[in-house]
Amino acid sequence: MEAIRNALDFKDLPRSEVYLSWAVALFLIIFPLLPFSSFAMATMIQFLIFAVYGMGWNTIGGYGGQVDLGKAQYVGIGAYTTTVALIRWDIPFWVSMPLGMAISVLWSFMIGYPLFKLKGHYFAIATIATSLVLKDLFEVWGFVGAARGLHISPVKYPPPDFLRLIFKEDVYYYYLLLGFFFLAVFVMNWFRHSALGYRLRCIKDNEEVAKALGINVHWAKIKTYALATAYVSAMGSVHAMYIKNIEPEDTMSLDISVLIALMAMLGGAGSLWGPIIGAAVLVPMKSYLKEWMGAKMGLIGIDLIIYGFIIMVIAAVEPKGLWGLYERWKGKRSAP
Amino acid sequence: MLLKVDGLIKDFGGLRALDSVSFEVREHELVGLIGPNGAGKTTLFNCISGHVPVTKGKILFDGKDITELPPHQRAKLGLARTFQVYAAQGDLNVLEYTMVGAFLRTNGRTKARDIALETLKELDLLPWKERKVSEIPVPGQKLVTMAVAVATNPKILLLDEVAAGLNPQEIGWVKGIISHIHKDLGITTVLIEHVMALVMDISERVVVLDAGRVIKEGRPQEVVNDPAVIKAYLGESFRLEETR
Repeated sequence: MEAIRNALDFKDLPRSEVYLSWAVALFLIIFPLLPFSSFAMATMIQFLIFAVYGMGWNTIGGYGGQVDLGKAQYVGIGAYTTTVALIRWDIPFWVSMPLGMAISVLWSFMIGYPLFKLKGHYFAIATIATSLVLKDLFEVWGFVGAARGLHISPVKYPPPDFLRLIFKEDVYYYYLLLGFFFLAVFVMNWFRHSALGYRLRCIKDNEEVAKALGINVHWAKIKTYALATAYVSAMGSVHAMYIKNIEPEDTMSLDISVLIALMAMLGGAGSLWGPIIGAAVLVPMKSYLKEWMGAKMGLIGIDLIIYGFIIMVIAAVEPKGLWGLYERWKGKRSAP
Repeated sequence: MLLKVDGLIKDFGGLRALDSVSFEVREHELVGLIGPNGAGKTTLFNCISGHVPVTKGKILFDGKDITELPPHQRAKLGLARTFQVYAAQGDLNVLEYTMVGAFLRTNGRTKARDIALETLKELDLLPWKERKVSEIPVPGQKLVTMAVAVATNPKILLLDEVAAGLNPQEIGWVKGIISHIHKDLGITTVLIEHVMALVMDISERVVVLDAGRVIKEGRPQEVVNDPAVIKAYLGESFRLEETR
């Protein structure tokens, strides 16, 4: 199968990158065995979740150049589907997660069709709007707990429960997420090598040229958007099982959407490692800003100010983020 | 008849850019399309490729009415084009970009890569394959877009000023590439060009457009000696020999 070969083929990357990624993978595998604090563990879990969110965003936002600021709605759909399915009908995670992905993808087709008639800033604004509308709906919808949200009681579902994905120790979630993370990297690598991936990069470059090359621009964007959606929704499902307490405000707010986009943009939009690098920088920073400066020093909202600042710096200095800076540095070094 | 444009009218607001343009391109022909700036040459290409809708008239390609088809479906039928104004911004390199063209005929990456490499070799652009398109000077980028268009394996290729901005030596090179595409690869070609040394040398037939109308159609020698063409475009002192 060519798809599987493409997913496992990293030969087009420089040797040094492949070795480095092996080292990182090894570190991630042995991380729980190292004597780190539980705060570090929680941060690593957040890192894995947000890295996968960022990879999802990177397909349409990075490779396709369509700045999507509404990814939180799919975090919400994924999180709510698994939680509601569990609480109302006792449907296990491994059924409700694919179900959530299916609902998200269906929703993404429904809104993607009109959304991708728009371009540039108009598209970005419309994605924000759809996400906010969905959040507002969930805030008044009693069946899903309205604004209070839903809570998964550990008394009712005693851990460890592999079917429902209820655990007490973080390490279970860690390894599960690590599995998803590796799978996400392989799917990303497949996408990068697929006809769709090439087409998206051409669309980002110039849509009129893309059309002349036989690319159905509108449909290619919708398909990629659906792929991005599946990534985000799956992680939203795990995220909900991990935090066990979901509200429209923490799952579907604009902050989450912006943060997801930032992961990929800071790390390097349109590169394989970009979202991972972005998450590795931003997630610890987010924890620090929110828990420490926000809660302890009373500087509530400081995180949003810093994110805004990062967006400005990326836009002004290097649109391809940290990865772009690295490639520029490498290019200078190899030039005679 | 491979391409037939019949009574094509294109209005931009109150401006009639194309006024009942009719012309035909036979299979395996190389047709030059010339005319002064603003004559409607690029608009004509845009109508044929489907990038702008026509106001009135018909376009038939390979016996099929394509007037209402979106551009990507026309490309699938075998209609390829390049753009007059194009500057790459993305991070695709020449090989990857050519593969985008090849992906029109296959979904497999290995196959697309083979087609792309073969096309680049045919067009003498293989040494550029690792270069980022956006880092190549704009005249060179046009040659790359030509390769990408050829990689879609078209029946007809519409080239919009591929030689603009090149020096005489490079023009000679491009002339060779276009002849190769036309003669050896057997692709019917329509060429918009201001460089007379190129268009008059390799075209089998020339169509002259002025103010949205076809004012002359014929063999290159007939066209350059036509008083209307001289008045509208070439100028009184034009001597083809001097452009070489």
